[in-house]
Amino acid sequence: MAVAAGSAPPPSPGTETPLIYRRGVRRLLTQGIYVALTALVIGYVYTSLDLREFGFGFLNEPAAFKVGNQWLTDVDGVTNSRITMYLVGVWSSLRAVLVAIALSTVLGVAIGVARLSPNWLVAQMAMLYVEIFRNTPLLVQVVLVYTILLIGAPLIENVVNVGDFFFVSNRGMALPWPVPDGGFWNAPEWFVGVWVAALIVLAVAAGRLRAMRQERERETGQPQFANRWAFGVFAVGALISFFVLGAPVSMDRPVVVGTHYIEGMVMEPEFTALVAGLTLYTSAFIAEIVRGGIQALPKGQTEAANAVGLSGYQRLTLVILPQALRQIIPSVTNQYLNINKNSSLAYAVLYDDLFRVANIVQNKAGHALEMFFVIIVTYMLISFAISMVMNFFNSRVTAQRI
Amino acid sequence: MAEMPAPNPQRIVLPPHRERARRPRTVRLREWVRRNLFHSRSGSVLTIITAALLGLLVYGVVYFVFVDANWRVITDNRWLLFAGGYPMDQEWRLWFSVGFVFLLIGLAYGTWASLGRRDHLFIVLASGFVILLLAHGGAAIWSTLWYLIAVALLYAGYAITIRIPRDAGPARTAQQRVVAGLMIAALPIVLIALLAFGGARPRELDGFVLNLVLAPVGIAGGLVIAIPLALGRASRLKAISWTCTTYIEVVRGAPLLGWLFVALFILDDVIGGELIVRAMVVLAVFTAAYMAEYIRGALQALPFGQYEAAHAVGLNQVQTTQLIIMPQALRISIPPMVGQAISIWKDTTLVSVILPLRELKGNADSAIAQFEFTPDRIEAYVFVAVVFWVVAFIMSRISQRVEGSLGIGER
Repeated sequence: MAVAAGSAPPPSPGTETPLIYRRGVRRLLTQGIYVALTALVIGYVYTSLDLREFGFGFLNEPAAFKVGNQWLTDVDGVTNSRITMYLVGVWSSLRAVLVAIALSTVLGVAIGVARLSPNWLVAQMAMLYVEIFRNTPLLVQVVLVYTILLIGAPLIENVVNVGDFFFVSNRGMALPWPVPDGGFWNAPEWFVGVWVAALIVLAVAAGRLRAMRQERERETGQPQFANRWAFGVFAVGALISFFVLGAPVSMDRPVVVGTHYIEGMVMEPEFTALVAGLTLYTSAFIAEIVRGGIQALPKGQTEAANAVGLSGYQRLTLVILPQALRQIIPSVTNQYLNINKNSSLAYAVLYDDLFRVANIVQNKAGHALEMFFVIIVTYMLISFAISMVMNFFNSRVTAQRI
Repeated sequence: MAEMPAPNPQRIVLPPHRERARRPRTVRLREWVRRNLFHSRSGSVLTIITAALLGLLVYGVVYFVFVDANWRVITDNRWLLFAGGYPMDQEWRLWFSVGFVFLLIGLAYGTWASLGRRDHLFIVLASGFVILLLAHGGAAIWSTLWYLIAVALLYAGYAITIRIPRDAGPARTAQQRVVAGLMIAALPIVLIALLAFGGARPRELDGFVLNLVLAPVGIAGGLVIAIPLALGRASRLKAISWTCTTYIEVVRGAPLLGWLFVALFILDDVIGGELIVRAMVVLAVFTAAYMAEYIRGALQALPFGQYEAAHAVGLNQVQTTQLIIMPQALRISIPPMVGQAISIWKDTTLVSVILPLRELKGNADSAIAQFEFTPDRIEAYVFVAVVFWVVAFIMSRISQRVEGSLGIGER
């Protein structure tokens, strides 16, 4: 219970410390009492829970409910088990979380930098943004975006059609999406895998080229245009391999049939609302973190960058942000974990994420305790994955000495 | 001055501050505009684009608020939104609580801070907003009067305490103790005023009142649990530190909605009681895990010399913790704690997502479920957002004042 203590004064010679005053005995006693009390509490909770039917077997039974907003999966819920439906929900959650993480990072960094802009109007607008979105409940933001998407967007009968490529209505946005195609050579569908493999090889090669050119630039001092070379090699290689392999991918344009989109990629209003809400809310917090990270840098960094004649953009991307990143990453990681947990608000806009699917299962089958166990383990695993990636990134960033 | 370089038309070389200040206002204004808005070509483009965006935004907001929106969804449902199922004949209990809290805010401001011009402006604007709401579309004279009395109490409390000189001394200490004691006692007093002696039953707390009750209960309960948790996590006794760490990590592992799920389906068997009480317990338990982490951070931020010095003057461990460590650690952790408090304030909306409790957002859903108000959904949610924003803004303002008067961040 005490926080810390220095070492006890040595016992004066000739006196025996009574047993009860000895440090080790006291610790043992305290912990013993504590463990006993904790065991009592846990025992009470254990006995009061209804554990007669405890078990996870119910997850393997047929689901008998539908899960919406599926993407790249096609699970009908009649023959599939409940655990399959739950995994589809996990996949939906992951999708929303990843998109929200990417968008909120970009937006947050932009707003955070804008808050320190020398341009007064831009700085004030950024502050207004942060103050509005940080101080209103995420739930209200998500629901408000959802409502605006449902009321504000045109009905699907009057869908907005941009060149047969892009559709907007209150059923969501539809975009073209690449699908495997036989191409010139009428190849089977798996042939697209060859092209993907070629792309991966190309990407690795381009990365290697970039590193080599950067190294040469450091040695010779001559500009080697590492990024342009790497990107150029990748783009040209991708194009050539695309045609050599007989164009194995084609774009699948969305089509409106009746009141539904078919084909293409459809972003339902539920998904858009959830991602938009998470992005708006979290980007306000990330903006404050970025601002704090930049302000924590010594002013000499800005002045030195000005002195060597860097432009404002170069100063930001070459001097300020790389250093600020070290301060920022741990806090931003925390925000990513918050995005993960906050994605459960999908429940409020009927987006079938893992939490909502788990609730549906619980409504159908009971077993609340088991379902909660499944939920918390899933969230912890996703959080763990995010932390692992960010820790790896952090170690990469802090490995370079400045 | 003679050695000043020839002025470059691109870059303004500023004369010393005093001379700058003495120049005519129009010149200073022009210079300010040039330096802050049109300092370079790209900067000017940015300014123009931003100004255009801002203009669009202002136009959109003004058009929505004054032309497009139908605010009757709010004014017709104001009792539903404010107190919902709270018995209407016990309205005075609500206003008594509001007045009491306002009086306390006034007393606290007079004791530790002072109301600036911005604060007065904010009070006037917020009061205008509330009175507009109360008086619009139907007579609510009594409510308006109650509210005005509450504001008057705020200023009365402020006027009493601001006059007392702030020189350190027994009188000042007594004043601080009285006000602080009142603030600690405020939550029980308000709860008694709302619920006891023929007041409402707990489940009749509803609407905005429910938010206003849940958040302080969560914050106060969380703080009470968090202090031993943080100390326990930092403890050398392995059994204690492991259980506290497990508690904190498990609670932080699942979202609040998940824990409310527990309150609904699982806690019923364990602690029973009314759902609203279970929700309060969950909120406190949830907040405690986060607050404990902030306190732990503050404990780690304290220099080790503090422990050694306490030991050197012969304090035992309990005394060290109570007299030396906790006061400093709590002071350091005030800024993140306020952040957590604002977070909990916003999270009280989650209560209506899976629980059958209806706080402000839940009652806004009920308001727009009425046939005549179905087209006014956006208005209802915008109103909810504004109300939450105002309270969160007040909380962050007060915390800035507290930080300023306690000298946090200074050494």
